[in-house]
Amino acid sequence: MSVTSPAERDELNRLLQQAGRNDQKAFAELYRRTSSKLFGVCLRMLHDRGEAEEVLQETYTTVWRRAASFDSAKASAITWLVTLSRNKAIDRLRQHREETLDDPAKLNETVDDQPTPAAGAETSQEYRRLQQCLEELEPQQQSSVREAFFTGATYNELAARCKVPLGTMKSWIRRSLMQLRTCLDQ
Amino acid sequence: MNTPLEDGQNLRYAEYVLGVLDADMRAEVAREVAVSDEAATAVALWQRRLLPLADTIGEVTPAPYVWARIQDALQLEAPARVTPRTGFWDNLQLWRWLGIGATAVAAALLVVVSLPRPTPVPAVANAGYMASTIQQDNGSAGWTATMDLEHARMVVVPATPVAFEQGRAPELWLIPAGGKPISVGMIDREKPTTLALDPALLAQLGPTAVLAVSVEPIGGSPTGQPTGAVIGKGAIGAAPNAGDRVALTGRGQADRTRV
Repeated sequence: MSVTSPAERDELNRLLQQAGRNDQKAFAELYRRTSSKLFGVCLRMLHDRGEAEEVLQETYTTVWRRAASFDSAKASAITWLVTLSRNKAIDRLRQHREETLDDPAKLNETVDDQPTPAAGAETSQEYRRLQQCLEELEPQQQSSVREAFFTGATYNELAARCKVPLGTMKSWIRRSLMQLRTCLDQ
Repeated sequence: MNTPLEDGQNLRYAEYVLGVLDADMRAEVAREVAVSDEAATAVALWQRRLLPLADTIGEVTPAPYVWARIQDALQLEAPARVTPRTGFWDNLQLWRWLGIGATAVAAALLVVVSLPRPTPVPAVANAGYMASTIQQDNGSAGWTATMDLEHARMVVVPATPVAFEQGRAPELWLIPAGGKPISVGMIDREKPTTLALDPALLAQLGPTAVLAVSVEPIGGSPTGQPTGAVIGKGAIGAAPNAGDRVALTGRGQADRTRV
């Protein structure tokens, strides 16, 4: 994605801060620059274009209302935005997960489960570092962490998908998280 | 830097960021984050660690009506100030712009449509979008409609709220050239309406068809054909692929909308 350069990050931070001061033009520009990314995130989790559109709309209406609370010292704008869209998408999944998961038709729009960055996507230094740390995990654990992150599935759902007991899934993920923390915080 | 809170049993901030908690646990952590700086910091740290995974998610451009809905929901100033990124955004701006000063723009439209075009705009050949401004008899735009062909959906956004008498509501029709009106569905006077387009309707969409709005009982026309006054009409314009010049309907349709 294009926000890998520090200049672009700063620019997004600035736009979000301006949106926080009710600058509609900055908000529109922020949408123009980030909506494709956030829509990709929503679509990946929800597998349904209509739902992803609704969540995207909820995300940006929340962005507009909460932009004033954005603090660039705590997170970059793009992290703040992606987090917000993921949270909205996960909330949506939890609300009616049965329909979404049990309806095979809804899986048609699945974005390919890319183990590597999408073609043409530039990755950040942070991503490459995380990738290195992920590769140190057991293959099954690594794929569980990815599956969890990209699909927003609960422990229960992950265990069912991987056909392992719930306890096993929990310990895979927790062990992975601890290992990642150690690796990343070195 | 590990805070003591994160260590030992306490990985739930990480689990929250990863997204594996169930609804109740999520809500619990969210509440904690809202009231405790320590929890908020722990969550922010995990976001910084894990969010780079999102780098690998490909970008997908949302349909232009999403921005229109956001503007509508927030009651932001129209016209849309989103600047073009792809060819279609040009079109979006165009149709919103059309929605504002339709009468004044009609002449300019005719100039645009009479530019030399080697081939007619294919009806549904380019998977993408079509757009229409449904003008009222007084020349002002009543609704703007965007059709997402690939996903068989139409979003109809009111430009200016139209008054209806008690018990009456607007119904949208698709009128194929020389054909009978086909009901698309009831639409809202004030809010955007999303309508599914069945294959029969999709097949009729194109620059030779017209959209029209009639006044009907709340539940829709009882006969399957318009029973009340037709209060607005609009030609359908094919949206070109990115980078193409804006394509509009032929002169005939542009004229017809003014009838």
